[in-house]
Amino acid sequence: MSRTNRLLRWSALSLLLALAVAPLYWILITSLKTPREVILRIPTLIPRVVTLANYLEVLQSGVLRNFANSLAVAALSTGLSIVLGFSAAYALSRHRFPLRFNKVFLIWVLVVKLLPPMVLSVPLYELFASAGLLNSLFGLAVVYQVYTLPYALWILVGFVRGIPREIEEAAQIDGAGPGATLTRIIVPLSAGGIAATSIFCAIMAWDEFLFALLFVRRPQMLTLPLRVVNYITEYETEWGPLMAIGVLASIPLLLLTGFVYRRLSEGFTASLK
Amino acid sequence: MTSYRLHHQRFFYLLLIPTVLVVAFLTIYPTLAVFANSLFEYDYIGGIRTFVGAANYRAIALDAQFIQSATNTALFVLLAASLETGLGLLLALLYQRPFRGRKTAATLAVVPMMLSTMVVSATWRTLFHFDIGPINALLRGMGADPVGWLIDRRIALFSIVIVDVWQWTPFAFIILLAALQTIPKEYMEAARIDGCDPVAVVHRITLPLMRSHLLMVALLRTIDTFRLFSKVYALTGGGPGNATETVSYYIYREAYRYFNLGRAGAASVLAFAVIAVVAAFYLPRLLREES
Repeated sequence: MSRTNRLLRWSALSLLLALAVAPLYWILITSLKTPREVILRIPTLIPRVVTLANYLEVLQSGVLRNFANSLAVAALSTGLSIVLGFSAAYALSRHRFPLRFNKVFLIWVLVVKLLPPMVLSVPLYELFASAGLLNSLFGLAVVYQVYTLPYALWILVGFVRGIPREIEEAAQIDGAGPGATLTRIIVPLSAGGIAATSIFCAIMAWDEFLFALLFVRRPQMLTLPLRVVNYITEYETEWGPLMAIGVLASIPLLLLTGFVYRRLSEGFTASLK
Repeated sequence: MTSYRLHHQRFFYLLLIPTVLVVAFLTIYPTLAVFANSLFEYDYIGGIRTFVGAANYRAIALDAQFIQSATNTALFVLLAASLETGLGLLLALLYQRPFRGRKTAATLAVVPMMLSTMVVSATWRTLFHFDIGPINALLRGMGADPVGWLIDRRIALFSIVIVDVWQWTPFAFIILLAALQTIPKEYMEAARIDGCDPVAVVHRITLPLMRSHLLMVALLRTIDTFRLFSKVYALTGGGPGNATETVSYYIYREAYRYFNLGRAGAASVLAFAVIAVVAAFYLPRLLREES
């Protein structure tokens, strides 16, 4: 490659990388600034005074509670999706149900995944209100199945289909019943796929905002995204604590960057959302 | 053997039924209810429900706010999805050849999509701040006029496009980079030896081979941008005026602020119809790949 070409390529790459990373740097430094430094008309690029006061403030104002709520909802909704999704995936890929149910069901589930969640929110709100599932982390985990279950089901169907039937047949000849075949053979063989699917489901639940906004009002039940949005809409310029929450909320996701990158580039999944 | 098979069959039904029930409860019932809602007029105070036929549809068709939300959504989808796919492709082409530190650079480039949407929105709200945001500080420093990124009604929607492009271009990038790396290098080399310049190689060889991946990325981004709500909520609240209101935001406002379930239902059904069209296009391809 010619020299100018290489130079061009390098500058393009560095510029794009800088654009990707600059806002992250901004989050970090803003979270370490004093309130007075945050509202300077010309923002400083290196904090004059580095302070952890913002972190202390948000920790004292109960952000750990929000963190725990988000974690609980993510874990619960992921668990539900994996159990429901995996058993359905196994049934759908090993048994032909009447009336072409297998295909119809999978297609319906996919159409649901394509729909903007707002479209279903009004009847769901009424349904959950009458079931007493508003303001409840369990209720949130259930409603998140709208996102995570179709995803888990589709990915896991692919995994189960990839397992050769001969293995199950051998187990059955050896006298294993269907339950034992499922728990002792199929589940262990799908462990990698289940783990990866769980992580993607957990990311979706951790990120979810719409149903959290509609279904949760009680302060002690708020998840992290709600906490963030309350900060931006209530206090115009309290950026220090806001960015401190941002950093705390991002750490678990950023730890998964390498994993997500590898999985997506292996073509593990077509869609994160 | 028959009893064994029967036993087996019951087992499969037992495995499937809970999931079918959850899906029915969360999706089939709400879908039917939304269709029904769109045909009624609700009076919350009196608790009365009146059948009005297509009146809600007629009402939203004449509602300037709904029309604006639909055009905003269309514009947003068109701009964001095509920019994300295009920039993702450009980035993938830049990363195609190995260089030192490529893996680290690629992983860093992916970070924006790992942040949660609310954190991204909060961050950009500060970056775009008119008085004390760093972007306007930079503009002022260069002697330019500051821009009302989120407060100027002609600009706000494009600002949200910028945020979405920042967050999701990495997604297009990973998928397309992976696709690019499955193309045998010999193809490109052969073309180069035959005297094709790099642009022609990309145009004649790379792009046609990546067609299905490009299409898939564009479709996935179309679907995701079509549901735009949380960024609007956090960045502009639909304003200034209705300048950044999307269809999802319109439904939200009609249903949860004005308790106008009929109109919200009619708008929902229209959104459903759009998705049905997209699905009709997208499903056959996906099912073909599946089998």
